[in-house]
This record gives sequence, structure tokens and C-alpha cells, in this order.
Amino acid sequence: MLSSVVVFLQRVLLLVASDVDALCACKILQALFQCDHVQYTLVPVSGWQELETAFLEHKDQFKYFVFINCGANVDLLEILQPEEDIILFVCDTHRPINVVNIYNETQVKLLVKQDDDLEIPAYDDLFRDEEEDEEDSGNESEGTEPSEKRRRLEEVWFFQLCWKGGGGGRSAMVMFDLAWIMSKDLNDMLWYVYVTDIGTLQRHVSRHNHRNEDDENSLSIDCMRIAFEYDLRLALYQHWSLYESLCNTCYTSASLKLWSVQGQKRLQELLADMGLPLKQVKQKFHSMDISLKENLQEMIEESANKFGMKDLRVQTFSIHFGFKNKFLASDVVYATVSLMENIEKDESETDNFIRALDSLSRSNLDKLRQGLELAKKQLRAIQQTVASCICTNLVISQGPFLYCYLMEGTPDVKLFSKPVSLCLLSKYLLKSFVCSTKNKRCKLLPLIMAAPMNVEQATVIMVGIPPETESSDKKNFFGRAFEKAAESTNSRTLHNHFDMSIIELKMEDRSKFLDALTSLLS
Amino acid sequence: MEVNVELRKAKKDEQILKRRNISCFSMEDLSPEKEKNPVSMLQPNSAARLTSRRNPPLNEIIEAGIIPKLVEFLGHNDNPNLQFEAAWALTNIASGTSDQTRAVVEGGAVPAFIALLSSPHMHISEQSVWALGNIAGDGPLYRDSLINLNVIPPLLALVAPTTPIGFLRNITWTLSNLCRNKNPHPPLDAIGQILPVLICLLQHNDKDILSDACWAVSYLTDGSNDRIHVVVETGILPRLVQLMGAPELSVQTPALRAIGNIVTGTDEQTQRAIDAGVLALLPQLLRHPKPTIQKEAAWTLSNIAAGPCPQIQQLITCGLLPSLVEVLDKGDFKAQKEAVWAVANFTTGGTVQQVVVLVQSGILKPLLNLLSSKDSKTILVILDTISNLFLAAEKLGETEKLCVLVEELGGLEKIEALQTHDNNIVYRAALGLLEKHFADCSGHFPDTTQDLFGQVSGRNRIWQGDFKCGIH
Repeated sequence: MLSSVVVFLQRVLLLVASDVDALCACKILQALFQCDHVQYTLVPVSGWQELETAFLEHKDQFKYFVFINCGANVDLLEILQPEEDIILFVCDTHRPINVVNIYNETQVKLLVKQDDDLEIPAYDDLFRDEEEDEEDSGNESEGTEPSEKRRRLEEVWFFQLCWKGGGGGRSAMVMFDLAWIMSKDLNDMLWYVYVTDIGTLQRHVSRHNHRNEDDENSLSIDCMRIAFEYDLRLALYQHWSLYESLCNTCYTSASLKLWSVQGQKRLQELLADMGLPLKQVKQKFHSMDISLKENLQEMIEESANKFGMKDLRVQTFSIHFGFKNKFLASDVVYATVSLMENIEKDESETDNFIRALDSLSRSNLDKLRQGLELAKKQLRAIQQTVASCICTNLVISQGPFLYCYLMEGTPDVKLFSKPVSLCLLSKYLLKSFVCSTKNKRCKLLPLIMAAPMNVEQATVIMVGIPPETESSDKKNFFGRAFEKAAESTNSRTLHNHFDMSIIELKMEDRSKFLDALTSLLS
Repeated sequence: MEVNVELRKAKKDEQILKRRNISCFSMEDLSPEKEKNPVSMLQPNSAARLTSRRNPPLNEIIEAGIIPKLVEFLGHNDNPNLQFEAAWALTNIASGTSDQTRAVVEGGAVPAFIALLSSPHMHISEQSVWALGNIAGDGPLYRDSLINLNVIPPLLALVAPTTPIGFLRNITWTLSNLCRNKNPHPPLDAIGQILPVLICLLQHNDKDILSDACWAVSYLTDGSNDRIHVVVETGILPRLVQLMGAPELSVQTPALRAIGNIVTGTDEQTQRAIDAGVLALLPQLLRHPKPTIQKEAAWTLSNIAAGPCPQIQQLITCGLLPSLVEVLDKGDFKAQKEAVWAVANFTTGGTVQQVVVLVQSGILKPLLNLLSSKDSKTILVILDTISNLFLAAEKLGETEKLCVLVEELGGLEKIEALQTHDNNIVYRAALGLLEKHFADCSGHFPDTTQDLFGQVSGRNRIWQGDFKCGIH
């Protein structure tokens, strides 16, 4: 149950990490703030340094700080040294949570779900505190007359919230539940959650759409409908051509092994099996013959099944604006990521962040479409890079892990100097590689991928991707491994990302770092 | 609605922090702040922030002469944020001592706040409700001046089906302060305006709203019979009785208090309470774990027992006697005192038959036990009650049986012991009782238990003491 909900008096500083979940959570929180006239300042932060800098620069003017998708796994009090009257709210999916953050309830407020396994060690095992007398609270004040006068304290808007409800660890979901509890108008916010978590919110959808039904009948341009329905797991296909989508979706590309000649042949066979003429399939999806679009999903699903792709049709969320605009949750994710990590214009990270944030507003469909175009380029670049890596055997086995290094001069290498894009590439590469090799052992290995980050500074960005077979999140495992390897070799590394499986290091130190990593993980 | 979204680039050399423009007052006189960052003092929300601290420097704020400025800010309709923060700060200053509240009132805040009740911004009107609640809560003087400045209509207008619960709670609390305090009571016409909305609020199911609304009703019924009349006429009694049985102590307590007040009124008003079903709920309240509830339930009972015989009869038929016995026997001592009064009233106003039933219910033993109470008043009331019992016994020709009964139950001993009581009145009353009723008491009685007072076993006994005991 919510402890206490009152309006902030002070302004709030929002420190938001640069990932899609954070973006969505931020959007929801912004909406909540606007409803309640809470003034806030938004600072996108891409790593620990930015976080610390932002905090230092604002600590004299703000009393409340909200960290979205950052901050949970360090001792915030130690690092930031906040004054006593400063309160830090942390809504972060990175685990494990630093124990100090859990046990210091006065200054650090964690926004978590009740069933989130925080792996909290017993308090007494960690801290030897003086015993405090518990206040004899409550019952004596019940049944007494109301006070004649009441002072309005500067209560905080949300405390450590614990409540029931399923759903995975997504900050956007936490924020959504907060909005739910505060009985805010939720349909818009619901969408932000769906973008990050194709999860268990079916029930919310039906409840909300009942409200929207009247809207649809009135044919308002504004009407927005969220649906949870079956659709194809083909990236951006409704905004692209079916052909491009099939070629550039990791699942289909890897399953068919489209980097090879046989793969291309298989694609033709698949299309023939679906009864879809190549000319049609290469057209923009919207321009495809209507007759072909009927039962398209079922046809594709059936054929795909024959080619070993059993999961091509899945249940997912989609949002409909009026009649013409339909976006799948995955469409929005791709678009947002592309906008966030856009290298085309020479703009700051902050500008990109804000543009990505804006694209989530339904009044900014043009921005969303811009993101979709960027996403197409990104997906093409990824596929081509994957094909190239596999064909030129760039993925090598280091023993305990697979390794791939994108050299300078590789086409689109600049795209992959960004963390999320690189991670996306790495995941797709690993998946494709696993499909391409007969070596069974490789299927169990993680992948470490590196790409040039900043040529002038001669730095490299490196990410660790857990093996295909691993279901749990092994990111902190990489984090620790990276740290140790850096220490033991005196490599100059920067562990600035909130995601511990992403680091930067000096190009020169790359090989010795790698060697250390190899022996560490053997 | 103003939304200030400020963007800050991560690069240090580009700062686009907007600062809000209000810096027309300084807080330099606030010594605790002097040593700290002087820049923060110029922040517009300093006052509100300061007043919200653990130990707010309210007097310093007042002495700094900020109040007139804050009141002025209340009028800035073009700047709702400013209004809101000024309202917050003034609310907190007014929450302090009487002097501090006075400073706010004398600063001219009241008309400004009353005007803000109609603000298009809900958080501002809510804050104004709060501030006015503090001012009204200071005492009857400010309460009535608020009423005279016409606070009630705009306040009541804020109560609507769409009003959020938090806001409703604030409104209810402020309304309760407008009903509160005696010397003088709030003007009757103001109450007449408030009551319908209060009745509405009592239909809600939020426990905080219910609690404050019940307290308001309890204040309104704590007065002369015509005040009770106004409340009873609203038809609220059944709901009040229902709330007397609420699971929350915070609701039960004031509901019971209100009912208790109502039955101090006329017999008709008491009858209305009885008709609303209060008697069915009293037994559980008489054995409530909370002593105050027990006490007030017993007090309520005692006032009903002070009514005419038909009402006393209803006490009997509704099974209150066993509960009364239980309270006398095992209740909290404050409740016991009230129960003693209940018995006394019963024996004063009841018919002989009713008194007999009372005795048959087993009231005597615990009643007599309470003669060892330390409270003189209670003892006197018990002695009085015993006199009344003898009056009834006389009419039935059963005074001897009563004697024996009293003696059997150890009462005689206790009364005798009272002759050495510190309190003169107690001593004399005990003496009087002994002389009047126990002088002729003798030992031998038939075995039959058919007589009306018969709870005695026939047994020889030896009369001790200063009195002669003849043998009949």
C-alpha cells in the first residue's frame, strides 16, 4: 500500500538514463508531475560521471532527486555525499541493489515492486547499530479529537512503494503503477509501459479500451486505441516492405542464414511457399495488394513453421491512432533507440535524448516516423555487419567466450560506437553465429564485442552478451569480470555505463585486457 | 497551467537553467539561514520550505515582516505557483500559536483566502481550505469572523461528487472547526447552512472524512436542546447509530459522543435516538476494550435511564441490564462510575416493577462492591440508590428481605465501614441509611424464595454492631 502521497513543494531533479525503459518511465513521471503541478528539471545522463556531475551542480538548488534506471547498484550516499535534507528516489532495474540503498530509508527511497527479489541480506548481518527504541505509535492517537490546527509538512510524493502485482522489472511499470495508485488518467501512460514490456497487462488494456469505445464511434482524430493482439515478429514490416523486414529481422535472417547463398535461396522458397510474388513483397507494405494482405499473418506463420521458425507470430501490443496510424510496440522501441543514438546530425546526447522522449508523445508522430526511418538504416547496417562478420569469420573463440572486434573502416562502424546499438548488433551477431556454426560448444558461450568508440581518443567500446541458452541476467557478471581484468592489467578503462556489461577502454590496452579476461573466465 | 520543463545539457559550459523571477523579498533577518547559502534565501519558495521544517522559525518569519508580502502574493492570479506557495507558507504560520495565527489574520489573509476558495486551480483552493481551517480552529472569535466574511458558501461549493478524497478530507476538517468551540457556539444560521453538506459527508465511506464529520456533529450537539434539535431534525440519527458500530475507533468515538450528547436532550430527542436503534449497539460498546468507549457508552446509558418509564422499559426489553451488570462488575473504573449513575437514575425514575427487575438482574452485588471505591461521589450515589431501592421495597413490604440481601452480599459491612469515612457527607449518608433501614433488621426468615426480593437463603445470623436486633 502507498504510504503517503502529497505534492512536492520543492522542484525535483530527474536524472534519466539513456535506455528505452528509462525513457518510458520518464514520460510517465513527467505526466504525473504535470498533473500535480510539480516543477522539475530533466537531466539525461549517459553514465556515472554525468550522474555525479549533474548531482554536484544541482545539489544546492534541489532537495529531491529522482534516478531513473540508474543509481541502484552503488552506494549512492557514499558517492554523492548528499546533505541530510536531500532525498534520493531510485527507480532502477539494474540489480543487485546496493545494500546501503536498501537499508537507508530516510535518504534513499527505492521504488520497487513488492515481489521483486531484491536479494536483501539480513540487516543484522551487515550493520551493527545501536538499538533504537521503537516509538509507541498509533493507537493512542486514534479516537482523539482532530487537532485544531494542522501544519502542512513537506511530505514527499512517493515513498518506498511496495505493492502487489506481477510484471518484470521495468521502471516504466513501476511508474505506471504509481500513476494507477494515484488514479491518474492512464491510457497514454499505459502505452509507454507496453513499449518496454510486452508483458502481462492484458487486463489493463481491456479496461481502458472500454472507455475509448465511445471515442472511436465519434471518429475523432485524436482517438487512440491500444490493442493486444497477434502480429508478426518482423521488424517494422508495416512501415517497410515485407521483403526488407524479412531480410533485416534477426530472427528470420538468422534462421534462414541469409548471409549465405543457400540462405537467399531459402528466402525465395519461403516467399513462394507463402504465395507472395517477389514484386509485391518488395513494395511498401501499405501498397501491397489487399488480397494478399488478407490472412497474411496466418499464411506467413504456416510457411515459416515449415522452415523452422515457429515463433514468427506472437502476441504483442499495438497502438492505433485513428485509422491510418498503427505502430507495434517493437516499432516504437526501434525508433526510439535510433533517435537516442542518432549519429547523423552532429548533435549532443541530450538533444537526441529529448528528441527520443518527444517521439513518445502521440502528438509527435512525425518524430516517431523519423525514428522509424533511422531504425531501418540501423537494422540494415546491423544485418550487413552481421553477414560480413560471419562470412569473414570475424567471430573467434577465445576459449571461455566468443569475441568479435569491428575494425575501423568497417561500414557503419560509427553507428556501433553507441552502447545500445552495439548491444543490439552483438545480440543479433551471437544469434546468427550460433545458427551458422555446427560447433555445439559455441552455443553455450557468451560474446564479447568491441568497436571503436572515439578515434581521436583511441578508445574502444566493449560489451558482454550472455550466451543464448542463459535466461537469467548475467550483466553484473561481466561487470565484475571487466573490472578485475582492468585491474590486473592496469588497463585504462572507464566503467561509466549504468549497465555494467558495457565499458570503454583504450585501444592500446585491448589485447592485454582481453588476455586477462580470457584467463579470468577460463 | 504553467509547466516549467528545464533542460540541462550535460556539458558544463552550457547551462540553460531558468530561474524564477520572484525575488522581491529578502529573508536576511532569518539568522539560522544567514550562515548557510545566501542564494537559497532568495528563492521564492523559501518561506514555504522553512515553515515545513521540523522546527520552523515561525516567529522569525513573522518578525521579518514577510506576512503582508505573502498575503499580497495570494492575489497574483497570473502566477498560480506563487499563490500556492504563499498559501502554503501562511497555512503553516497560522498553524502555530494563537499569536502566530493572529499575525496571519491581521496581515489581511482571510479575505484573500476566501477569494482563493474559488480559484480555478484545485491545489490552491485546497490549500486555502486548509489555511482557513487553521484560522477557524484558533477559537470562536476567528471562527465567527470567518463566518461573517461569508466563508461558508464558497467552501460548501467545493463539495461535489467529483471532488478528490484528499480534498474532501480537508474540507471536512475545516467544516468541523467551523462547528467547533463553545462560548459562544457557532451562529445557528451558519450551522443551518453547513448541516446539509455535513450530512452528505456522513454518507461517505472514507474513514477520515467520517471521523471529522462525526466530530463536527458531536460539537453541534454539545449544547442546548435547540441545538440538538437542529441536528436531530436532519434525520441523521440512524446513520450516526450505524457509525457507532464502525470498526474504526476514530469513527466510533465521535459518533458515540454525538449520540451521547443527543440523549442529554429532551425525552423526545432521546426517544429518537432509541428509535434509531442505539440500544442494540450499546451492549458491545459497554464491553469495548477501549476504556473511553466503555465510559461514554455507560454515560449514554445513564442518560437514557434518566428518562421516563417507557424509556426505562425499553432498556429492559432491549437487554441492557446484563450489560450494565457486567460494567459494574468488570468495567473500567470510569465506566463503572457512569454505570452507577445509570443505576441511580433507573431507581429514581423507574416503577417499582422495573426496580424489581433491576435487582433481579443481579445489579446489587457489583453495585455494593463499588462502595469500596475511592470516589466519594460514587459512594454517595450508590447510597442514594440503596435508599431508592428501600423505597421500592417498602411499597412491596419487602424491606427486610432487602436488608438481608444487602447484608448477604457484603453490603452491610461496607456501609458500616463508611461510618469512618473521611468525607463527612459520606459518613452521614451511611449512618442515615443504617439507622433508617438496618436498625430493624433481624435474623430469621422463611425459606421460600418466591418473594420478589428473594435471593437469600434462610439462615440464622447474628447481628453485630451497635444496633439492637430484635427477633421477629
